Amino acid sequence: MVKSRLFFSQQLTHRPAWLLMLLLILGVWAAATMGAVTITWSDWLAILQGDDEPLSGGAYVLWHLRLPRILFAVMIGAALALSGALTQGLFRNPLADPGLLGVTSGAACAAALTIVLLAGSGIEVPVALRYWLLPATAFAGAVAVCFILDSVARWLTADSIAGLLLTGIALNALAAAVIGLCTYLATDEQLRSLTFWTLGSLAGANWALTTALLLALILAFWALRRLTHTMNALALGEAAAAHVGVNVRALRVRVIMLVAVLCGFAVAWCGMIGFIGLVAPHIVRLLVGPDQRRLAPLAMLVGAILLLLADTAARTVAIPAEIPVGIFTALLGAPFFLILLARMRRGS
Amino acid sequence: MSHLHTSATALLSFNQVTVALGKRQFGPFTLSIQPGEQVAILGPSGAGKSTLLKLLARELTPASGQAQFEQRSLHDWSLAELSRRRAILPQSHEVAFGLPVDLVIGLGRVARTYDPQLSSIVQQAAEQASAVHLLGRRFDTLSGGEKARVQMARVFAQLWDVEQGLLLVDEPLAALDPGLQFSLMEAIYTFASKRGHAILAILHDINQALQGFERLIFIKHGAMVGDYQTPHVTLPLLEALYEVRLASAVTETGEVIVAPSLKQVAAASLQIVR
Repeated sequence: MVKSRLFFSQQLTHRPAWLLMLLLILGVWAAATMGAVTITWSDWLAILQGDDEPLSGGAYVLWHLRLPRILFAVMIGAALALSGALTQGLFRNPLADPGLLGVTSGAACAAALTIVLLAGSGIEVPVALRYWLLPATAFAGAVAVCFILDSVARWLTADSIAGLLLTGIALNALAAAVIGLCTYLATDEQLRSLTFWTLGSLAGANWALTTALLLALILAFWALRRLTHTMNALALGEAAAAHVGVNVRALRVRVIMLVAVLCGFAVAWCGMIGFIGLVAPHIVRLLVGPDQRRLAPLAMLVGAILLLLADTAARTVAIPAEIPVGIFTALLGAPFFLILLARMRRGS
Repeated sequence: MSHLHTSATALLSFNQVTVALGKRQFGPFTLSIQPGEQVAILGPSGAGKSTLLKLLARELTPASGQAQFEQRSLHDWSLAELSRRRAILPQSHEVAFGLPVDLVIGLGRVARTYDPQLSSIVQQAAEQASAVHLLGRRFDTLSGGEKARVQMARVFAQLWDVEQGLLLVDEPLAALDPGLQFSLMEAIYTFASKRGHAILAILHDINQALQGFERLIFIKHGAMVGDYQTPHVTLPLLEALYEVRLASAVTETGEVIVAPSLKQVAAASLQIVR
């Protein structure tokens, strides 16, 4: 009986993975063909052949603009979804989302401070460091918010999701105030880069960032292998998780670091893109259930697909203008969040 | 305080263990549990029973005193090692996210990195806890009694292939109907005695303690006030513990039943004869 059931569930769990993979590949191809410049088969051939002669026309657009942007969207989507899945597992609640809890605004706040204060202080940052300075400070901001959430919310309102979300609201407001102060102090040029954070955009994509993000994702995925099953034990409650042999404190720190790295990278390079971390894990839970071992990798796939869709829409709806992708994900995600709330209310 | 054992053979021993929670002092607790022993902890609400259990489970760190498990300081054990020697059946049964029942039971063995027998042990533990029919369901769709069964199966799975371990039980049955309480307690006895596990249970039901456990520990005002072999427990001792008049009766089959006395008779003169 056990054998047949396991076999059955394996079938169920493997099929969504392959279907999602296929969907993602189709999505990448479709997104690559959409845009102001038409892409033909010969353009694909041209970039695949990799001749020494410089690319031209459609092939140039495909290789230097569209493909890095698409892959960047895919990976940022995966990173956001994974950080959402991890946050939800950590706080034992499907409404815990790095955006709602203030983790992403903490990162954005640190990044904004860096932009304004650094320029104000007149320190010249080497170009090579610029890519890494913002992720590093954004990471620090995300870590700070995570630890504040972990200790303050636990201390003020132990084990209550309302308390956690309210702490998130307070932290969001605080971050918004600091970002507002930065906008007030900023020069025109700084203001333009700041607006970018509050709206979120993938327009900064290039091959270097894409490669760096890929490495970060591979590392996160590797760390995940050993984390996911112990995260399942967290669902029993922290005391019971310790009883079955999980070192909860170490696990919590590791998960928080991972979430902060993923959010820090995403925020530093694309600003605040909300709701992917909330929506993607939820869709996966509906598909295959809440087992973190399946949830985490599949949420990455779904997050990739969602952000790819949103970004393609952002690029193509108002050609030649471009709408910030954060607006699309919020339009998609906020109603979804309300539906989730309503469902939870009915459920309990 | 008649219970003296040499601590060399003890499974778990506490020597003058104290802990402070906020302004409240608990302890000193001095006790030792032998392998295979069945001990009930009794006491009024808020007396510190759960605090003692948390100390025994290593959820709390003692402020002073020595706590030893299998001749090693309790705090030298890693959580993973400890989880292969002792399990805790919790008071509350909630599990987040509606995990499937099979997974919840299997989580009892999450600390084992290599566990080829997992699925067969999950199945057998579910059978032992009469929870086989719940396999394949979501935990959050279960009733209170069914959740208790699944949590019990999880604890069974944790100590399934262990001998002479320790089972800590925290009033798990308080909210369940009497028939279910009885069958779940039976399942715990059967599981533990087959493997020589010691049971240490916090109980609210005096009769369950008197009938099912060989030794009773009394907790009051945050400290141990008694440690008796069950036959030595008298009605006045219990009355003093709970500060209530008790009456006892003997059934046709010779069982002694204790209940709060509704008439304020001088119940103190009655002795429990077992």
